[in-house]
Amino acid sequence: MNHLTALLSAAVLSSCLVGPALADTSGKKIALSNGYAGNSWRQSMLESWKKIGDKAVADKVIGAADAFTTAAKEAPQQAAQIQNLILQGYDAIVLNALSPDALNGSVKQACDAGIIVVAFDGLVTEPCAYKVTVDLAETYGAEQVRQMAKRLPNGGNILYIRGVAGTSIDDDITKGVLREIEKHPNLKIVSTVHGDWDQTTAQKAVTGVLPSLPDIAGIIDQGGDGYGTAEAFRSAGRPLPIIMLGNRKDELVWWKEQIKTNGNYDTWSASEAPGMATFAFWVAQQVLDGKDVPKEVPMDILFVDKSSLDAQIAATPDGGVANVEYSQDDVVKAIAAAKK
Amino acid sequence: MNALRMNAFVRTLPARPWIWSFIGAAIVFLASLLITGGAGAGGIVVAALSLASFAVVVGMGQMFVMSLGPGNVDLSLPANIGLASAIAMKVMNGSDSMIAAGIVAALASGMLIGLINYGLIRTLRIPPIIATLSTSFIVQSIDISYGRGLQVKPPPGFAGFTDLRLLGLPVFVLVIIVASIIAAIVLGRTIFGRSVLAIGQNMRAAWLAGIKVQRIRAVTYVLCSALGGLSGALLAAYFRGSSTDIGNEYLLMSIAVVVIGGTSVAGGRANLPGLWGAALFLVLLQVMLNTFGADASVRLVTTGFVIIAVITAAGGRVAER
Repeated sequence: MNHLTALLSAAVLSSCLVGPALADTSGKKIALSNGYAGNSWRQSMLESWKKIGDKAVADKVIGAADAFTTAAKEAPQQAAQIQNLILQGYDAIVLNALSPDALNGSVKQACDAGIIVVAFDGLVTEPCAYKVTVDLAETYGAEQVRQMAKRLPNGGNILYIRGVAGTSIDDDITKGVLREIEKHPNLKIVSTVHGDWDQTTAQKAVTGVLPSLPDIAGIIDQGGDGYGTAEAFRSAGRPLPIIMLGNRKDELVWWKEQIKTNGNYDTWSASEAPGMATFAFWVAQQVLDGKDVPKEVPMDILFVDKSSLDAQIAATPDGGVANVEYSQDDVVKAIAAAKK
Repeated sequence: MNALRMNAFVRTLPARPWIWSFIGAAIVFLASLLITGGAGAGGIVVAALSLASFAVVVGMGQMFVMSLGPGNVDLSLPANIGLASAIAMKVMNGSDSMIAAGIVAALASGMLIGLINYGLIRTLRIPPIIATLSTSFIVQSIDISYGRGLQVKPPPGFAGFTDLRLLGLPVFVLVIIVASIIAAIVLGRTIFGRSVLAIGQNMRAAWLAGIKVQRIRAVTYVLCSALGGLSGALLAAYFRGSSTDIGNEYLLMSIAVVVIGGTSVAGGRANLPGLWGAALFLVLLQVMLNTFGADASVRLVTTGFVIIAVITAAGGRVAER
């Protein structure tokens, strides 16, 4: 980017002296601040963090990579947790924030104490934090509509299942969906319900609204709700629409079953990979290493199509979500791309 | 004669607190049908009955507990349901021969939580709200480390059970209707049920009358948690997988169906038919708002207002007492 800071000169200097993968950060400590562990996504996230973090420690790339999760899903607790991490002397905090603004005070304190803060998934608005960003509107919302249009060349009625109302994620994805669907006049959203990214909630909402709906050709959603939606259609005895999926193992297995019983069934599945915590980990490591890192590093979502379906089913644990862990190289490349 | 008796029945209807919840349910049902032009009426009824029956199972337990008198409430139900769903699915392990064992394990987990709840209330003299809330935190933590946030699938036989239909209605709904009739009989005609209500009216008077107050309270809390455990197993079957959050909705829902159904929050007066009316009302209200395509904020505000309206209408009776 365009800001010339001391960081940049340090980065130039150090990269002149030694090659990449410096041992500079071998004494540095990185903490993961997490506010929730109760679903499969967060569990996979913690596992990925441990896997990559432990390896980085063993390889002496980093001094420590510890994960901390608060007891309750509440922002004040996470704010207190961040303050503790500051006192414990961590050099960087990788943060999955429970609130976009309630943690800003603590994040600012950390920055003022010279600690690098990298937010991912749950972002914060405090400008001193680095952010791992995903363009959900484009890569997920709009892309789903394009994938749907490809599979429904003659158009049809669409049921759109939204996430938790009032969250930035729900707003972003919806923006992308609505923007793109205007370009496909033969796709018509006939009803919108909130499934809260949860199969139970989605199944309830769809079960309730389904009897009043005309034939549905496709479901656009936000992931985590596809299997519940399929169950709602099945128990209502309605023909199965094309349901966009969210990379959960049960969704992928269900897709495989549909292919077995009806060879033509084709859909598309995507989600942020829980391993994005490891992406943020390497961003923090790069900053600690003195590299010039832009404040926002974009990341791609992980998608599964027919060709990668079998491999993803095999790699994902029962009840889990498809995952990928990022390497230092991946992140170095992403940072280079972001600087263009 | 018959007409006269019918007339008398109709005249006493407004005096029956449960009637309001059924009227509310009928109104929101008709409102949804207006929008769809009458299409899908049968489907909506089946869907609403299925979803309402889960609220009735947990509502029954909560109703017994709340009837014990002011301050009695079980806030550990959501965590209890979540843990029981995980235990049931893990014990069943996808095998039809383990269905009974899984249900027993879910019931046992629930009853143990009920015993802990009552133990805290009795031995440490903690108010039920605090006791059950702290149990809830502990249970949820156990669930997170035991379930690891994974969704374990029910065996095909158990999942298939939730799809069985008899006369067009899901069999599990019919089973729950029968169970609720039994619960109504237990409440109104057995020593246990009458004791619960007597304790709710005046604990000291009940004790002086020779009722084993603490034993009845213990049984009530255990019964409530056992029903929570059972619904955890049922929910996991219906929704095709256990999950930590599967019971979240039932914290508010279990209390709302009890109160809207005409059971006195002050205890001592319970109402079983009202549970069904209230559960159908709340489910149909969501169906109606979804059918209208209402915005999420509109939906929440409307839900709040309508609940207040129904409670006010039903609560007119309390003042007369």
